[in-house]
Amino acid sequence: MAVTRERLTRALAPKVVAVIGDKQASGYNWLRSMKEFDGPVYSVQVDENEIPGIEELGIPNYKSLTDIPDQVDFAVCAVPRQVAPFIVQGCVEANVGGVTLFTSGFAETGEEIGVELQNKIFEIADPSGLALIGPNCMGLHVPGLGVRFNRDQPAGVQGNIGFVSQSGTHGMNFSLTGAAQGLFCSTLVSFGNGIILEAADYLEYLADDPQTEVIGMYIEGARDGRRLFRTLREVAAKKPVIIWKGGQTEGGGRAIRSHTASLASDQAIWEAMIKQVGAVAVHNLDEMIDVVKATLLTKRTQGNRLGLIAMTGGQSVVLTDAFEKAGWKVPTLSDDSYAQLSEFFNIIGGSYRNPLDAAGTIGQDPKHLDTIFDILNADEHIDAVGMELSATFMARRWQDKPEEFDRLINSIKRFRDESDKPFLAALHPSHVEEEALRARLRLQEEGIPTFPSFERAANALRKASTLAAV
Amino acid sequence: MTDVIAAARAERRTLLSEVEAKQLLAEAGVNVTETRLAASADEAASHAAELGYPVALKVVSDAITHKTDVGGVELGIADESALRAAWDAIHARVAEASPGTQLQGLSVQPMAEPGAEVILGITQDQQFGPVLMFGLGGVFVEVLKDVAFRIVPLEPRDASEMVREIQGFPVLEGFRGTPAANLEAIESMLLQLSEFAEANPEVAELDLNPVFARPDGAIAVDARILLTSDS
Repeated sequence: MAVTRERLTRALAPKVVAVIGDKQASGYNWLRSMKEFDGPVYSVQVDENEIPGIEELGIPNYKSLTDIPDQVDFAVCAVPRQVAPFIVQGCVEANVGGVTLFTSGFAETGEEIGVELQNKIFEIADPSGLALIGPNCMGLHVPGLGVRFNRDQPAGVQGNIGFVSQSGTHGMNFSLTGAAQGLFCSTLVSFGNGIILEAADYLEYLADDPQTEVIGMYIEGARDGRRLFRTLREVAAKKPVIIWKGGQTEGGGRAIRSHTASLASDQAIWEAMIKQVGAVAVHNLDEMIDVVKATLLTKRTQGNRLGLIAMTGGQSVVLTDAFEKAGWKVPTLSDDSYAQLSEFFNIIGGSYRNPLDAAGTIGQDPKHLDTIFDILNADEHIDAVGMELSATFMARRWQDKPEEFDRLINSIKRFRDESDKPFLAALHPSHVEEEALRARLRLQEEGIPTFPSFERAANALRKASTLAAV
Repeated sequence: MTDVIAAARAERRTLLSEVEAKQLLAEAGVNVTETRLAASADEAASHAAELGYPVALKVVSDAITHKTDVGGVELGIADESALRAAWDAIHARVAEASPGTQLQGLSVQPMAEPGAEVILGITQDQQFGPVLMFGLGGVFVEVLKDVAFRIVPLEPRDASEMVREIQGFPVLEGFRGTPAANLEAIESMLLQLSEFAEANPEVAELDLNPVFARPDGAIAVDARILLTSDS
């Protein structure tokens, strides 16, 4: 029986939560993670040795799900695998909306007993319509509701990124590392073995979820590839989708007698599928974060011509290299732009050909940066603007004269808000890392897309731009 | 349309002959060179007279996967006496390269006017089912693996994108004396193959290699189809 949307919504946006089988040995991780949950949290634990510790946390404990005086929408289950089928049965009887099985040791082990237990769970859950997440997964993270599976995950903040992960670790890392860069999830699901609900189910949910503006997915393989393909086609037409495919599956060892079959590697087919559905492929966590960031924080352009603002001649050269390698053009500006620039630009130790080597000019008068932005905004040769922010040169100055940094931020914000052209910045790590970090966090607070290298900035903007403006 | 497949199944074969493969494809509307099986030199001569010279002769045998490797191909045969000489020459070379091999005969087909050589193919992916491939022929596909894939069913936009996605695309736009290929003809052949793959789930692998992509259209001059081994 298919899980209804109503049942899935109860599970993924719960009002009442239960944690089943948490214990001292895990530091009561699950219960502590739910501390910020925006509603009642109950514990289910039968072990008398564990109950006092749970009650000390101020969480009411019951011996069984059906004893809980509330209708539970979402349950987390962390019991040994032999017990898991009984817990799932209990969830069905208590009409729980959905349950996530952190418990592992099922089909992923390849052991007969693991496969049998997994089949048993499927047989109990499937006819009931229970929204079962996992097993062998980290489950659900909804920062807006305070649903977490790790205590460092954010709570009380409404995010806008939907994330679906076959791996618990990559889902968790995205939520933690992303949050440190100001990127927050609307709903994140780590679905593990996905025996009842699989990636396509969560994608459909996120496509309709009004909080979700962009969708990221980490996936290793699909149980029903045809369905995933069809679903992605529909979902990617509604929202930008960024896919990180991990692992390479074997060709299957059958006799291959054609060129076509011999060339159809797993990686080649996934990359083609991702392109075909209108999503974009990334290959690691950093790239996922970069492209999500660029998708959320930059405007979309169909063009590929960049105006670049650098702080030195050497950086002008490598900035250009980085963007051109990623498929961008760094063209000459219009005659009109050159005429205007020639009136104030300091060409001693600077240049305004494009890139604009502008440190001296801006240093002379910070108003010049606004003028440069206005010129690039009006220039019909330019589709997007990138800027080097050099902590190496500027950090001490920003420290001594914070008003200069404020001024820089305001100029960037003015351009970003007034222009239709995308803007992004690169701020490399430097020898004054503390000051650089302060600057990075400030830029992040202001919603200015900042990347730790020219290459990552160039790649992120390129990939974000290939996503249809949906 | 399934007669060819049923006949192969009855003989417990999974590899269709070039003649059979082209028959299936022609029925599906794919532009292939008309190819007929001849059991004797006389029969070959009468096919050639009907199809028009110059023709190509190719060995047809379940046991031979790569026809050129055993000297089983003669191209550009101009007239009947050359045809009879080629008939004997192929038989002699195949007998030497692959002694005792049973031949069903030789296929006769008219020489198609050449163009840019491209490859179109179908394979079955474990997760996504039927998949289409497109690339330039020869060294581009074999050494550089410069190919594009799409999952079936293809939309017209997919066909258009996959043709332009390969590194060697400029070759199709006309390069060093090769005239520009008719891209719409390649795209419509890809869309026909997408429908063919959907209609024939028993086709495990297909290569159209080469397809001549010319200014006036595209035509497959060789075809290989492998059926699924189950059922």
